[in-house]
Amino acid sequence: MKFPMAVRGFFLLLVLLTLTARNAAASDQIDFNRDVRPILSDKCFFCHGPDDKQRESNFRLDQAVQDRTKIADLLRRVTSTNPDEQMPPPKSGKHLAVAEISTLQRWIEQGAKWATHWAYVAPLKHDLPKVADTSWPANWIDRFVLARLERDGVKPAPDADRITLIRRLSFDLRGLPPSLQEVESTDLEQFVDQFLASDAFGERMAVWWLDLVRYADTVGYHGDQEHHISPYRDWVIDAFIDNLPFDQFTQAQLAGDLLPESSTDDKIASGYNRLLQTSHEGGVQAKEYLAMYAADRVRNLSGVWFGGTVGCAQCHNHKFDPYTAKDFYSLAAFFADLDEAAHLKKGSDASPTVRAPELRVLTKRERVRAEKMSAEERAAFEKSARLTMISSAIEPREMRILPRGNWLDDSGPIVTPAVPEFLGRLDTGDRRANRLDLARWLTDSKNGVGLLTARIMVNRFWALMFGEGLCRSLEDFGAQGQPPDHSELLDRLTHEFVDSGWNVRHILKLIAMSRTYRQASSNSEFGGRNSEIRSSVPHSEFRIPKSLRQSRFRLPAEFIRDNALAISGLLVHEVGGPSVRPYQPAGYYKYLNFPKRDYVADKDSKQWRRGVYVHWQRQYLHPMFKAFDAPRREECTAQRPRSNTPLAALALLNDPTFVEAARAFAARILKEGGDTDESRIAFAFRLATSRTLDVTEQSVLLNLLLDARKDFSLDETAAKKLLATGLVPTRNEISHNEFAAWTTIARALLNLNETTTRN
Amino acid sequence: MSNLNAITNQIHRRTFLNATGVSLGSAALSALMARDAQAMDEYRPLPHHRPRVKRVIYLYMSGGPSHLETFDEKPVLAKMHGEAMPESFTKGQPIAQLQGQKLTCQGPLIGFRKYGESGQVISDFLPWHGKMADDLCIIRSMVTEQINHDPAHTFMNTGTAINGRPSMGSWINYGLGSEADDLPGFVVLTSEGGRNPQPISSRMWSAGFLPSQFQGVPFESTGDPVHYVGNPAGVSMAQQRRLVDAIRKLDEHRAVGWDSVPTGHGNGASGRDGVPTYNDPEVAARIAAYELAFKMQSSVPGLMDLSGETQGTLDMYGAKPGDGSFASNCLLARRMAERGVRFIQLYHRGWDHHGDLVRYMNICCGLTDQPAWALLTDLKQRGMLDETLIIWGGEFGRTPMFQGKGGPGRDHHIKAFSMWMAGGGVRSGLTYGATDEFGYNSVENVVHVRDLHATILHQLGIDHERFSVKYQGLDARLTGVEKAQVLHDVLA
Repeated sequence: MKFPMAVRGFFLLLVLLTLTARNAAASDQIDFNRDVRPILSDKCFFCHGPDDKQRESNFRLDQAVQDRTKIADLLRRVTSTNPDEQMPPPKSGKHLAVAEISTLQRWIEQGAKWATHWAYVAPLKHDLPKVADTSWPANWIDRFVLARLERDGVKPAPDADRITLIRRLSFDLRGLPPSLQEVESTDLEQFVDQFLASDAFGERMAVWWLDLVRYADTVGYHGDQEHHISPYRDWVIDAFIDNLPFDQFTQAQLAGDLLPESSTDDKIASGYNRLLQTSHEGGVQAKEYLAMYAADRVRNLSGVWFGGTVGCAQCHNHKFDPYTAKDFYSLAAFFADLDEAAHLKKGSDASPTVRAPELRVLTKRERVRAEKMSAEERAAFEKSARLTMISSAIEPREMRILPRGNWLDDSGPIVTPAVPEFLGRLDTGDRRANRLDLARWLTDSKNGVGLLTARIMVNRFWALMFGEGLCRSLEDFGAQGQPPDHSELLDRLTHEFVDSGWNVRHILKLIAMSRTYRQASSNSEFGGRNSEIRSSVPHSEFRIPKSLRQSRFRLPAEFIRDNALAISGLLVHEVGGPSVRPYQPAGYYKYLNFPKRDYVADKDSKQWRRGVYVHWQRQYLHPMFKAFDAPRREECTAQRPRSNTPLAALALLNDPTFVEAARAFAARILKEGGDTDESRIAFAFRLATSRTLDVTEQSVLLNLLLDARKDFSLDETAAKKLLATGLVPTRNEISHNEFAAWTTIARALLNLNETTTRN
Repeated sequence: MSNLNAITNQIHRRTFLNATGVSLGSAALSALMARDAQAMDEYRPLPHHRPRVKRVIYLYMSGGPSHLETFDEKPVLAKMHGEAMPESFTKGQPIAQLQGQKLTCQGPLIGFRKYGESGQVISDFLPWHGKMADDLCIIRSMVTEQINHDPAHTFMNTGTAINGRPSMGSWINYGLGSEADDLPGFVVLTSEGGRNPQPISSRMWSAGFLPSQFQGVPFESTGDPVHYVGNPAGVSMAQQRRLVDAIRKLDEHRAVGWDSVPTGHGNGASGRDGVPTYNDPEVAARIAAYELAFKMQSSVPGLMDLSGETQGTLDMYGAKPGDGSFASNCLLARRMAERGVRFIQLYHRGWDHHGDLVRYMNICCGLTDQPAWALLTDLKQRGMLDETLIIWGGEFGRTPMFQGKGGPGRDHHIKAFSMWMAGGGVRSGLTYGATDEFGYNSVENVVHVRDLHATILHQLGIDHERFSVKYQGLDARLTGVEKAQVLHDVLA
């Protein structure tokens, strides 16, 4: 439908007036950072933002707000229907929605106040808000949440039932399902403490952290050779098990080698700086790759600790945030003391490749084991010690600003290590600042940006427990990220984290014990809430932010694996060690070269270890992991996608790991599930879902069992074939047909949405 | 325009709408398999203009074929053979394995001749290409930015050397959806033969930050054609069907309770007594995924089974079923095109001719020349060429300078190389662009990789400037932030 322009303008005006009236009624005060900045950043900053070179006119928004005439002009331009005047210009492909224009208008009416981007303002320790329903909050987190819900006129969801809650806690804190005994537990706090104190907690947290720091077992580029790094992964796991304060955790990784009296563990941790992708391709130009590696490190540092996209400033000043190209190369200069030359000279295309400096180490856990050994055993054990890449400082190489990121251009000025200018400066006197100074600044809440770092991290802890962060863009706290759903709560949690001595477990427990956490989950906007709310409240208003309710989502790849192994009873509980190799389709590595590689799957109990230990081949990640959205770990991943694809279905249905788990599960059903089909099905269902099945579910499974029995009784060879999948031995006292039929039931249960979903 | 979250939500919302109160299995399925309906999505006003083709078949010559022995004849270089390469060309320029070595000119190692009415010039390594010269649009003036294989592949496929971005096949499927009900929309086939097959990373067909359903799916010539597409040993299709049905029934049954209106307190997870509404879009997506997975278990083997092809067709391609050759892959590409696969990418690994170039060109061209012709001809005969865009080319070209790992060869080169396009909307019989007398620099109508991307998208009805996804705060595009141009001159 096409209207003449004047008519369109009239409509626009009408809509604007209506919207303004409605919003005025809602009497909302415009909050620049929450309401206006996202619009300006996305639609205007590209040309009217902080980057001097890109700016297409002298109209710089942050300065223009001082000037009433300029502001009036802004309003005229954004509402104009004349293509020559209209902002953003039609050719930009950007378009302001009517609601956005209305927001800008209200902002201007209210005085066009500009404010520093929320993420760069130190969090305040907000007072606990008052709430009407004082019976609901279980701890202070709930006061913040409830106050918000009461303001919006909605009620929190009812509590989840006990079984759902225990499953949720078990997956969130351990990445494993609860055992049948654990499901019976009634003391919530004891339960939370027990989970947080378990080894499995460390493994669960490591899965999260290793994504951020892009940990992998291979170099990533070209030949994708293996490199030596698995002790670093074990250090991460133990750091979480030991509840190492997060500030120390940070310092050990960025600068473990520079710490006073640097220990073996500190050196292992300093392997962080070696996790980037490297190339061992013949004909790499050293200078080009030094530039690539520097950029890779800045991107990761920025993604993990800044919650920012400093990487954008490699070629130009950042378009949306105050990072300059100089900031980018000054940050890169912190890593200029790392010994890259060694690997560029010696790095071979053999696998594992040589990537000095490396150290032969026993991890803390291995050292404890060694102490209990006889001298002889110990000597043998020490021989099996693993190599691991570490950081070691050499004379820093020269770092220049590369004009437009061009590594061939030496004309840029030399820079020395410095933190982004708008965030402050390091006071090291005449001494060149180093990685340790950087790490301390990141975690110094008084003289550094500790509070900003803490806020980024507590937001991610929240996401681990809710599926969404209070600020949804876990990876980007910059102007293009989303403002937090509840900034007061986020701020208060930030202070709690710092005040607790960067105590990760404390924050997770606080969240776990809140009533907010305990809510029944809902994947719909109003689900789990009172029906009158559903019918009486217009849709777009009063939506409860996703981060303030519980949601239901598929487990991450590693836990899909762990869950099946745990249900089947195959899971090996053992912490640390070299990476393990599950079954994998033959020929999967055939496109790798230098050298050619044959994948040899483990032939012992390593086959049943947790996903966190699975060999991480960057270019050819295990197909099951890939199907379930595990990242390649080439870059920092703060949030994995959660897809639902046929490839994932095929993996869960047919991957030998899951078929073998189904066999072992079947054996367990037959042994522990009583004597009747009904009791066995009920037992199996409880193992998989933690709950009691209902009549419909029972009948579906009984029918499947009867059909499977019939099939296999007609074809015993088929039954034998199915039972030959995997390594775990088949029990002899049960007939093949019966065993195979129960394996079918086990396969069904392992494939249920409920089984693989955190609710 | 396209905000990823908005689109995802939108897809979810559609699934949700379709799933409410209707028989779930079929409704959810039809939502997810809504074929071209996706393109009409309000959040995704695609195509932007009338598409010229439905699909792309990309013949990816991995390793970097020499433009100087395929499509770019250089008589002056022949005369300069053995002389020092003028430093005015090479000083301060990127260089790979020849770093620090004396640079001498290497004349063309093969003759050229003119073909067809168009008189296109093609080397004697590619006689079958000669037969289809009038159907090709040869671009002689390509440039790229990455000089080592891995980043150069990444650049060619994703438009940037920074990892983690979607490849063009993923972008296209994300934008247009698949036309195939029971096959992935983006399929990758790989063959090898030639010198030192360079590794090829699955990053090249990664969906990057797009939803993983848009990733390329490699089809294998040995074992399961697609990972885990075969039933476990001892399980028949009938049994698998029953299993998948049971899973669906249980998932549906459970989902009825989820997100329904709870009637009691402390029992949110099983509020069954309320009105049974079904509000969780994830369950619908899951059920649809299982159904499609099961369909693939028969459609994929059906696709790979060449027994229905005539001997004449097999001979035309030079294909032997199951041999994993480029010839077989070309035939499979036609079969995929028939079944609605949107983006079909065939890698042939073996073009990295640092030495013994003549010997290895004979091998590579021997394996790929005729099949490429057969594919084009077969599509033409079936009336499908006009709705298909075929692209041929590698990740970069090769130096005019001699390299001698064994007999004479050439190093990587990024300032000039050749590719060709054919099919719907392409000006056939055209030679576009030119390099200097040495074949060192592209000098006329220079075509950057991002221009190629813009042109591919254009032919599919997509305006590359308006086709973006919000990622790390940026409107990320296949063509990146620099200006890219649709090559209108090569389009009919």
